[in-house]
Amino acid sequence: MAKKQASVTRREFLQQAALASGAVALAGFSPTAATVAQAGEQRIGSQLIGKLEGPELVLDPAKWPKKFGEAPMLAELVKAGKLPPVEKRIPEEPMVVKPLHSIGKYGGTWRRGFTGPGDGENGNRIVSTDKILFWDYTGTKIMPCLAKDWKVSDDGRVIAITLRKGHRWSDGHPFTADDFVFWYEDIYMNRDIQPNPHPDFMVNGKPGRLTKRDDYTVVFEFPEPNYLFVDILAGSTAMGGGQATQQFFLRTMGAYMPAHYIKQFLPKYSSRDEVDRKAKAAGFDGWLSYAKNRWDWRLNTEVPTLGPWKTVMPANTPTWGLERNPFYYGVDTEGNQLPYIDKINMGLAENLEVLNLRAIAGQYDLQERHTAMSKIPVFLENRAKGNYDVRLDPALNGSDATLQINHAYEADPEIAKWLHNRDFRRALSLGIERDQLNETFWLGIGVAGSVIPSESSPYSPGAEWRKKWSTHNPKQANELLDKIGLTKKDGEGYRLRTDGKGRLRIELQTSAGAFIPHTQIAEMIKEHWKKIGIQADTKELERNLFFTKIKGNEHQIAIWANDGTEVLYLFPRHALPVDPVEALMGHPIADWFASNGKAGKAPTDPEMLKALEMFRSAGSKKTAQERYEIAREIFKIIVDNQFSIGTVGQSPATMGVRIVSKKLGNIPAREVNAQHARTPCSSHPATFFYKS
Amino acid sequence: MLAYLVRRLFLAVLTSLAVSVLAYIVIELPPGDYITSYIAQMSSSGSFVSAQEAEALRQQYGLDQPLYIQYLRWMGMVLRGNFGMALEYGRPVAEVIGDRLWLTMVVSVGAIIFTWLVALPIGIYSAVRQYSIGDYIATFVGFIGLAIPSFMLALILMYFGFTLFNANIGGLFSDEFAEAPWSLAKAWDLTKHLPLPALILGFAGTAQLIRIMRANLLDELGKPYVVTARARGLSETRLIMKYPVRVALNPFASTIGYLLPYVVSGSIIVSLVLSLPTVGPLLLKALVAQDMFLAGTIVLLLGVMTVIGTFLSDLLLMWIDPRIRFEGKQ
Repeated sequence: MAKKQASVTRREFLQQAALASGAVALAGFSPTAATVAQAGEQRIGSQLIGKLEGPELVLDPAKWPKKFGEAPMLAELVKAGKLPPVEKRIPEEPMVVKPLHSIGKYGGTWRRGFTGPGDGENGNRIVSTDKILFWDYTGTKIMPCLAKDWKVSDDGRVIAITLRKGHRWSDGHPFTADDFVFWYEDIYMNRDIQPNPHPDFMVNGKPGRLTKRDDYTVVFEFPEPNYLFVDILAGSTAMGGGQATQQFFLRTMGAYMPAHYIKQFLPKYSSRDEVDRKAKAAGFDGWLSYAKNRWDWRLNTEVPTLGPWKTVMPANTPTWGLERNPFYYGVDTEGNQLPYIDKINMGLAENLEVLNLRAIAGQYDLQERHTAMSKIPVFLENRAKGNYDVRLDPALNGSDATLQINHAYEADPEIAKWLHNRDFRRALSLGIERDQLNETFWLGIGVAGSVIPSESSPYSPGAEWRKKWSTHNPKQANELLDKIGLTKKDGEGYRLRTDGKGRLRIELQTSAGAFIPHTQIAEMIKEHWKKIGIQADTKELERNLFFTKIKGNEHQIAIWANDGTEVLYLFPRHALPVDPVEALMGHPIADWFASNGKAGKAPTDPEMLKALEMFRSAGSKKTAQERYEIAREIFKIIVDNQFSIGTVGQSPATMGVRIVSKKLGNIPAREVNAQHARTPCSSHPATFFYKS
Repeated sequence: MLAYLVRRLFLAVLTSLAVSVLAYIVIELPPGDYITSYIAQMSSSGSFVSAQEAEALRQQYGLDQPLYIQYLRWMGMVLRGNFGMALEYGRPVAEVIGDRLWLTMVVSVGAIIFTWLVALPIGIYSAVRQYSIGDYIATFVGFIGLAIPSFMLALILMYFGFTLFNANIGGLFSDEFAEAPWSLAKAWDLTKHLPLPALILGFAGTAQLIRIMRANLLDELGKPYVVTARARGLSETRLIMKYPVRVALNPFASTIGYLLPYVVSGSIIVSLVLSLPTVGPLLLKALVAQDMFLAGTIVLLLGVMTVIGTFLSDLLLMWIDPRIRFEGKQ
């Protein structure tokens, strides 16, 4: 019913869009949005894609405010003597944020939807200013965060960060280098908790060390140059992710931890019996489970935090509630302590349709997670009634539905032979009609082409690589396939295997319940490939089974988004087979790479070997420019060899459909939509406010 | 009689144990375990779990043990009244289910009452006035209820509720009451939200009940005792309600066995669509996440409820129908 409705309105909507194309030309686009504009000139979405903008940090101490203001709800507590005055709560060196449009007003409750305790990302993307370093609103420049400054030694082996003097946890306890040392010595180095060193804290397979120089200086040391580590500290990584993304749901990383609170749950500070007894009393099987539960900031309302809001109603109840952190270290340019908004209430939606319907009904003030691209027409139809605006934030990654080819496949030697053949892969890519996919599944908003990230990203090898081997050219594809020897066809025009075992069938494996309708996309590609005589079989699998097959090296081609590839070094797994956790491009190769050749299997393709070697060499390069240059070369190799086949990307499919109440102020017209920018956190949600 | 009861009770315990073994095996059948599903969830949100970490987590949860040891460990805990930790929730299973159990029961009982209130009178009416216009209309409506999948009805009603009446979408409470402590106002808020799910859940069951009631009653209406009673000059209402209807109610007693598990689980799909905070969606999520403790406990609970329900309905039948009682004796 709802689906029918959507398809009707979509048609009407496209008609309107055609009429409005004149108006679109007048709308301003930021330089970084140029590619989106280019592809979407007559497109519905382009009217909804604004200028990339956001709040900025004031880095010059001379311009910092001298007097401070606070929320009325905190002023009352101060008056009642329950809280120290605001000057005592803010660090001597606060993070000064210049709000996007204006100084805000205090108050209000931000209403959102979430899907249960597994949806932690929904909250941690809002409170992620507890990261050591962060990015500016464009997602390209590294900014101070918890650390007001950082320094890399000339040889690239020592990275020192400086904390803010007078910074406090949400319970008022000082936040110092000791919290880092505690995490390193008692959590990270404790093999019961963290069984092995984490790759994010290693260089070329050798672990790094953490020490304190003084109360406000933390030093990360490596046996070999690791210039990339600053990016890692700023990225959404195990070392730089901060408490919000790294200390929930059994996770143990994050580089610091509230030592004064967590100590009571560790055997070292009392005894094994004592902590086990505490755990059992709380219903847990042992101290480790209990400790992990106690530092889970979503579930435990008592654990001190550093973000703008902290949990007051746990995420395992029907409402995940957050409330302002009275000791938050951010202020606006007039010295008002952030955040402006008092509370965040996320209501549980048992399924995504209900969540979207609630968003349509205007029951959420700001929601960009789980709101689906396919619902855009319905969102627009109801925006006056629900008193909200719709904004689209296209992502930077090149392909939301990437055909990830298994370069270690060997179960069927005939298929393996072709999958490992460059011309065969190029032909498959040329056989895909990307514009039709874009029209059908992306409402025409996406950009068709190869896997490379947006041209606005410094990792992009340039626009000509978007089209390379990635246009629709069945003629050339057929020529390529004929040339490599796939000339025999059956009665229906499908090419035959060369071992005489009938038709050549390629399996496209998809996962059920993805953000993007990969299975339906695969079905359409199957139709496209008919024209080049290739028979595809679509196999939709339950998500666990999908990954089990990949782990077992059983898949031929798996379809998945290549999100994260826009920051290649921080999240390479969707661009190269380097990460055994998710090795869509060949598990044995990823094992081989991660173990430095001790396990798994080396790639047979010399070009792949070259790409992996270049990738490994990047960390020791001193400047970002050198590293970008290597990344661009890697992307060229990937595209030229079609190691993975891109379709359509740079779309708002993942977390890019933003429903914004008209009551809210300081909302950017467009946000950078990327994993490393913790969207919407790089827009500093602490500066959002209710105008009325 | 006592021997019979003891035997039944013993069998009930055995059945429950068998159910628990089956439940455990079935839940364990899909590939992977909770940790695989955890890793899949982590990687879809862009996080890293190393193979060693995964192994450590498996050890922490005892998932590296053979299946029968895992089962025995779990059973040992259950027998001591400890149902384990709901892995995704980080809270004891008993608490997670308990939170939702009361609401589930309220919704389900509401649905059952709705079904009975609608179906029984209509069933009696359409038997007594067989082939009348009223019979046809009632039967027609009942069959429509049976034919439309409840989740579809839920979607349609929710859509019209939103477009025509601007009603709240899904859930059992308004925003302001969701987390508030229990009060009269909150109970009233629940009462206001209850009719829609109760109607949707109950509607599907009415046709079946109408037909059963109608058929049973038709069987009885032609019997000599009815003719005799009528000949004796009993008023029609009294005659029908007092004798044939009572006999026709027998099948209801025997279906109580199936009602009990329904009361504690609710309908999974409808609850999902309407976003009701009941046990149903919890079971689905637990199965997807392969949370053995949570899913196992819910399935076990359902099994035990079926066993208890069947046991109760046997007792009830013996009590209301002397024929069964006497047969048992012979």
